[in-house]
Amino acid sequence: MSGTLRSRSIELENDPEVLYARSLEEGWGDGAPLLPPTDARVHALLAATPHPPEHVLGRLPPRHGVATVELAAINAAMAGCQATAFPLVIAALEAIVQPEFNAVAITTTTSGVFPILLVNGPTRDVLQIDYQAGCFGGAAGRGSMTIGRAVSLCLRNVGGQRVGATSRSVFGQAGRFGQCLGEWEERSPWPSLAVRRGFRAADEVVSVHGSKGNFPVADTNNDDPRDLTYMLAKSLAYPMSNYYLELTGDCGQVVLAINPMWAERLARAFPQVESFQQYLWEHAWQPIELWRSANQAVLRKKQRVDAQGRVFLVNRPEQLVPIVCGGLGGLHAMFLPSWCQSEMQSVATLRTAPLTGAWTAAAVATAVDAAARLVRSDGADLVLVGADPDGTWIELRLLLGDAECATGACVMPGEHLEPLIAAALRRHLSGAFAVRLMDPRQR
Amino acid sequence: MSSTSRAGDRLVIRDPVAVFDSEPPAAAFVLGRPLRGVRVGVRQDATWRSWHIIAADWVTRLRDDGAEPLLLQMGERTGPEGEKSRRDLAGWMADVDCAAVGLGTCGSCTMWSVRDAVGVEELRKPVVAAICEEFVSHARTTASFLGHPDLKLLVFPYPLETRPDDELRAIAAAWYPQFLALLGVTS
Repeated sequence: MSGTLRSRSIELENDPEVLYARSLEEGWGDGAPLLPPTDARVHALLAATPHPPEHVLGRLPPRHGVATVELAAINAAMAGCQATAFPLVIAALEAIVQPEFNAVAITTTTSGVFPILLVNGPTRDVLQIDYQAGCFGGAAGRGSMTIGRAVSLCLRNVGGQRVGATSRSVFGQAGRFGQCLGEWEERSPWPSLAVRRGFRAADEVVSVHGSKGNFPVADTNNDDPRDLTYMLAKSLAYPMSNYYLELTGDCGQVVLAINPMWAERLARAFPQVESFQQYLWEHAWQPIELWRSANQAVLRKKQRVDAQGRVFLVNRPEQLVPIVCGGLGGLHAMFLPSWCQSEMQSVATLRTAPLTGAWTAAAVATAVDAAARLVRSDGADLVLVGADPDGTWIELRLLLGDAECATGACVMPGEHLEPLIAAALRRHLSGAFAVRLMDPRQR
Repeated sequence: MSSTSRAGDRLVIRDPVAVFDSEPPAAAFVLGRPLRGVRVGVRQDATWRSWHIIAADWVTRLRDDGAEPLLLQMGERTGPEGEKSRRDLAGWMADVDCAAVGLGTCGSCTMWSVRDAVGVEELRKPVVAAICEEFVSHARTTASFLGHPDLKLLVFPYPLETRPDDELRAIAAAWYPQFLALLGVTS
């Protein structure tokens, strides 16, 4: 819902370098260039949420600044967030301010822990939230890159989280720039994270996890799914995990991002996600002998050692939380280790209007394929660069195929090709949209 | 709308920074009487061996001085244990006449030490937050944000944690008078 803006206006020279320099000078930037939060941009974002600008989402630690929807929109505008993605920023902030998320501690600790955003639901494609290859970094989907960044900017500017002042993080974390990814629900053999947390598959849900970072593991040695799960469990229970510093293994969760190929293999042995979690939990421990005597004494004093001399990572199987995402190359998993004293929170988005008018990912893929057929017979191809979730533009890149056609001479010239591509796209996509073609011959 | 945002070669943007509350600073309190019969709380968490040793030493000294020490071991802050921890903390705050809360020797534990000390101060009771030197500015900043800029800090050397037990007991003995002075104990 749009409305009158109350935040202070700042006037500056209309030059991107000036805006960037000012953001660094005054500390409200995150070190990377920003888009100017003009009234037009802020109002566009506000129009996507039913909340009025003055609506209070909560107080954001560490300084407990009042997080209004307006301030969230200003920061989201700077992050480059699209209006259609703004409801996810709101949902993430609503999750972060829940006391059990313990953001007061997460934002001030010496650890590099940060709120990673895990998205479920039908808008992942249209919002360009990465969940396939490179989803932890590199895929560069606009939704992933800007939603996470918007939340981080809110923590900085509304929460007052600043390195060395309110945050005592020793190393920080690349994820503190903002990290947001989706689950590849369609390739998961198990119910999605959001469904397991009580939402419907049709809901658009943001889950926030206090993650210590991206902890990659790899395997080529284990064919049996139980053997693979055993090794995942042993790797999860690494001896310098925060869990082995805690009084109990009772708090928090560890997220395991499993690639779709492994998920398929694992599901043969564990058709129910609960049985997978149970098996993981049963093996997520280390023998007390692993630690030296002084460290053993600490763990014994905390009553972390059971009668068989095992030191379990966590107390309950449901604290080990699998999600399915990543590329089809297999071989790898990614852990999101826990800071422990933080409970995952999930919030469904609230939108002014559902994204029904926008293109679906399937429709975009069909349209691109239809257009690509125009050039494939010439040894070239077309790939999708991006598409506006609101259906106002689509951008494709021409790939000039093999050596025979490396110069592109065998492919129709751009001025003739572009209208044909547009026509092919329009057979599958609705609306009066612009077509942008990146043609390497036009450099 | 865009005409209000762009005036010629000038650009008008909105300030992304929240306006933080500035309430009058809360008062700090002093005991103003001798220790005999006073319930002195000492709050510790699970992590810091150094503070356990200092707290144990002070409990003995407080008892010898006629006080009634109430030691609280904080548990987990979230999850199934979290609620119990919060209840225990609230009960301890209500029971004590004054307290020491520690140890601030990391980011979150400094924040929690200050927050829990502020909780005692909000009950109008004298309190001291035990903070290691490296984290004093963090403690001051946190206390100020919480509206308690005058919260009393007992500053310990840093690092404290890796020192041998004997050295820590010596530090406990050396810092004890300062602890009592900050609480406002009279002879």
